[in-house]
Amino acid sequence: MARDLAFLFPELLLGATAMLMIVAEMARAARLVLAIGMAGLLAATLLTLPMLDADTTVFGGTYRIDLIAGWAKLILLPGTGVALIMARAELAGQAREGSVYALITLVTLGALMLAGGGDMMLLVLGVVLTGLGSFALVAFPRDDAATEAAMKYLVFGAVTGSVMIYGLSFWFGGAGSTLFSELGALEGKPLIAMIGLVAVIVGLGYKAALVPFHFWAPDAYDGAPVSIAAYLSVITKAAAFLAFAQVLRDLPPATGWPLVLALISAATMTYGYLAALVQTNLVRLIAYSSVAQSGYFLMGVVALGVSPLAVPGIILFAAAYVAMNLGAFAIVMIAGRELDDMTGFGRKRPIAGAAMVIFLLSLTGIPPLFGFVGKVYLFAAAVEAGFLWLVVIGILNSVLALGVYLRIVVPMYRAAEDKPELPLPHLLAAVLGVTSAITIIMAAFAGVFPG
Amino acid sequence: MPLLTLATFLPILGGLVLMALPDRSARVAHGLSIGVTAVTFLITLVIWSRGIVAGGFAQVEEVAWIPAIGAAYRLGLDGLSLPLVLLTSLLFLASAIYSARIGERAASYVVLMLMLETASLGTFMALDGLLFYVFFEVSLVGMYFMIAGWGYEERQRAALMFFLYTLLGSLPLLLAIIGLYLSSGSFDMRAWIDAPPLTGIAAMLALIAMLFTFAVKIPAFPVHTWLPAAHVQAPTAGSVILAGVMLKFGTYGLVRFALQMTPQAFAQAGQVILAFGVISALYGAFAALAQSDLKKMIAYTSVNHMGYVVIGVAVAALSLDPGIRTIALDGATLQMVSHGLVTGALFFLVGMLQDRAHSREMSDFGGLLGRVPWLGWAFILSAFASLGLPGLAHFPAEFQIFLATLNAAPWAIVAILAIVVTAGLYLRAIAAVFLGPVNEKWAAMPDLDRREKLAVVPLLILTILVGVAPGWLIDMIHTTMASLSF
Repeated sequence: MARDLAFLFPELLLGATAMLMIVAEMARAARLVLAIGMAGLLAATLLTLPMLDADTTVFGGTYRIDLIAGWAKLILLPGTGVALIMARAELAGQAREGSVYALITLVTLGALMLAGGGDMMLLVLGVVLTGLGSFALVAFPRDDAATEAAMKYLVFGAVTGSVMIYGLSFWFGGAGSTLFSELGALEGKPLIAMIGLVAVIVGLGYKAALVPFHFWAPDAYDGAPVSIAAYLSVITKAAAFLAFAQVLRDLPPATGWPLVLALISAATMTYGYLAALVQTNLVRLIAYSSVAQSGYFLMGVVALGVSPLAVPGIILFAAAYVAMNLGAFAIVMIAGRELDDMTGFGRKRPIAGAAMVIFLLSLTGIPPLFGFVGKVYLFAAAVEAGFLWLVVIGILNSVLALGVYLRIVVPMYRAAEDKPELPLPHLLAAVLGVTSAITIIMAAFAGVFPG
Repeated sequence: MPLLTLATFLPILGGLVLMALPDRSARVAHGLSIGVTAVTFLITLVIWSRGIVAGGFAQVEEVAWIPAIGAAYRLGLDGLSLPLVLLTSLLFLASAIYSARIGERAASYVVLMLMLETASLGTFMALDGLLFYVFFEVSLVGMYFMIAGWGYEERQRAALMFFLYTLLGSLPLLLAIIGLYLSSGSFDMRAWIDAPPLTGIAAMLALIAMLFTFAVKIPAFPVHTWLPAAHVQAPTAGSVILAGVMLKFGTYGLVRFALQMTPQAFAQAGQVILAFGVISALYGAFAALAQSDLKKMIAYTSVNHMGYVVIGVAVAALSLDPGIRTIALDGATLQMVSHGLVTGALFFLVGMLQDRAHSREMSDFGGLLGRVPWLGWAFILSAFASLGLPGLAHFPAEFQIFLATLNAAPWAIVAILAIVVTAGLYLRAIAAVFLGPVNEKWAAMPDLDRREKLAVVPLLILTILVGVAPGWLIDMIHTTMASLSF
């Protein structure tokens, strides 16, 4: 028992941090809430380091302390810290500001449960915990757009969540256990395996914004504050893919799930970029680009169990994606929500402009940026798993991606209209510094990631 | 001393220093640019003096990068890459000198130029598949921003087309690299060359992917269409680098990757590749003949000259006689260097003409030779070199290529017709621009100034030197080519 709790120390600490934040919010001390949150995230990250190489389970196999769970903490906790700073930069001084920080921390706790869950119950708990907090976060501005977005998000989440629970009950019935490690018992029961699989794809696919469960994403991102959109687009999404990895690596591949996911992957990236190509709202454009990135994530999931590069690929790409997408959203916070707001941005703010170019090139997958290394792993994993056609589609979509992102870059260096520019807020400058540094240099240090 | 690393990263380091400087005026930027490219050039001369070895790579520098997948930072040189490295550092130095007149956002321009130099040197020296791809792609980004930021009228469209076209072109190479990696467990290019890991249908698929990538880059018919647009719109130094250095990525990759890593498949497909080379050479010449815009005309002659390189490499793969193979590859490699020198000079000169007249139309000029003798004679010399006149740089290269072709695949000798066409089009251009009745509009045109001479004259001297006494260069190339086993 004590051993089990010791392994869960980062999660427990994060839970306690969230409680403390709520208490501090009752006293309306928003800065204190933020300080507690940052300290808790930092401490939890540091506590993760010594147990990074552990490969074990706790509480009867329900919670996994392995490569995926460990790296999930190392990626999601600092990512949440950056998101908190972005939220502070956007929402400072508003009523209920502290509750946003507390909710974000709670959602991250749910995300860690998704990434570490070794049991169906924990999967459901993770989905619900991340969901509930997210709905409230999207509705934060209390205007019509935000309320509508949150409602859509909620209704979608409720339906997909129910479908997932329903389907999981089939797996439970078929395997006789709620543990994922017992899923091998489904060998020879293709129908049951298939029903459960479809349910998991629906439930997690909604979290990950896979086509065709992505409809909520552009609306929710657009209605929510930009920092919340940034947070939702990276943390809950990355967690969903890590959960995919935890669930599917124990499922017998004979059920044909890799092919199903490969088709969804191809559809997701193609649809995401095609839709992004016609957006005029910057938030929606990046929202659709995030949908497309989900398709690349899925290439790693497809290769699970076959290629030893699959898990490292998902982890590496998650780290890159968190950094570059948060950075791109930080630029949106500076420039504005419309594509037209980018006109002349690179000339008015050369450094922020250069950072945006780096984020977008990294999202495209251009070397030597971090996103490229992630994509190489994912491509190699998919080829090794025999999905050459999927990689070809991924490659063709990279060209489409470039077209999408150049729609932002090209106007950035047009002559700008003369508008007085406010100096860059310190908080956002720090966010840009951290995210762009990771995007640029981590490719050179990709060796520290697990192979 | 890790001189290869130093030469590769000194330029980008200079660019970073420039970004950090408080004073980023045009003077400081260009001063730094010339200084850094000059030091880089000197370092490459020292690298040259340290020499290469037969049958492998010399001066290898290796540092772990991603051990889990066998990717490492590996640089090295042989007789194929060393001449191209020297050419690259020379052309960047000349471009830095020429560009010193650019005042608009000079600091950004210089940073991009230096980034391009790092990417180009890295591409030629990388011995790791992943690292090669990294440098290969970074050059695209640099060139995109160069064309989009400092090009001429239609630059946005041309830059976009260039970027999309060449990105689509280069991604198949990534597939091939992944294929080579998965079948060998390492990204070490030396291992891929020593024991080609792919065989049969997999090798053929990888070859097709690589050929697509390099054909776009070379550019060979029918995927050359990005070239005229990009060249015409690019700023002068951009054109020089694009033609002089970046087109060589394609021919370098054709030998280093396609020929050396999938030799059997290459030999099987040899006749087809040869046919594409012949068509490119002929098509490039005839298309150039149809142009009235000087820059576009030179751009198309690049398609022609690079077509000869493809012919040379294909002939080497087809021939069974090791002597003929060596001659073909010696000629093809020398042709890459000659083309860099000659076409680099031609693009500089057309750029200088455009700086003065703001026109590139042949019919706008006339009788300029008396007005601007330096510019005129320099152009005439380079044009004669480009059409393959004996005693100038292209002759020894093309002579070896055609000699080997006649021996191994006689039908392909029809490509020699292209030389006649090129001769015709250059004579026509010289007559229209520099001879004939004087166009009074240009009565006040100044001749080359010191900076311009400094950029162009070294290229002209080397053009003559390589034409008259190519021994020193061919020996270097020959060391490697004679020991090549495939």
